[in-house]
Amino acid sequence: MAQVAERVFVRDEAPPGDRVVRHAGIDRLFHWLTAAAVLTLMATGLLPVLGVKFDWVVIHWVVGVVLVLLTLFHIVRALFWQKPKCMYALSGDELAGRKVTKYTVAQKLMHHAMTVMILAAVITGCFMLLKMDTPLWKRDPYVLSQATWGVIYVIHGAAATLAITLVMVHVYFAIIPEKRMYLRAMIKGWLTREEVEEHHTAPRADKKT
Amino acid sequence: MDLFRKGHDVYNQPVLEGISWDLLPVAVGVGLVVIVAHLIYKLVRGKSGAK
Repeated sequence: MAQVAERVFVRDEAPPGDRVVRHAGIDRLFHWLTAAAVLTLMATGLLPVLGVKFDWVVIHWVVGVVLVLLTLFHIVRALFWQKPKCMYALSGDELAGRKVTKYTVAQKLMHHAMTVMILAAVITGCFMLLKMDTPLWKRDPYVLSQATWGVIYVIHGAAATLAITLVMVHVYFAIIPEKRMYLRAMIKGWLTREEVEEHHTAPRADKKT
Repeated sequence: MDLFRKGHDVYNQPVLEGISWDLLPVAVGVGLVVIVAHLIYKLVRGKSGAK
């Protein structure tokens, strides 16, 4: 219990010299805006299914467009300003637990699952915008066949359903005490040097098999 | 339990309308299973680590 309290409270007061930057401010802003967009889209898309009636359509497509822009921003930033390999690559040593890089295997897998879910929702959502009256165009539901619309709705719905599971698991791992340093890093941007050495130093001699 | 919602077009031909909303509780259940499994894993590992 004392260790948990130390991790959450005392280390939050770590001196600047003891801090290792993990997420730049722009990436933290992206993360929280994306979180707000995804939660809003889930609420506006799924609450009406559960019987909560309100005028959800306009909110849903406007926030959907925001998520499209955030996704494009992230793709460009990841490709040109960051090292995409540090998130996407999974080596045998990492899977065997002998090596931990900036992101753990679990964090990479969660990112892959979120990527699939968001890309599926965003791409199908862009098609569905063609059925909406927007300031830029009038709706045209006949641009695709009814069978194709059915497939698009299935993929969009599957992404929404997957989002429920992923958000639950993501929030759980964000708030459990032993992982809460990552929540702090996503709020304040840093880990302590001790946390980096304890969780992200490779190769990890104590994990050799 | 159906995986898909189906309807009929103006010619009374079957068409796909989307994923079945019966899957929403399944998604919540899968999330809960992962969380509970991790809590049990922590508990077991904590006990074995304390020995």
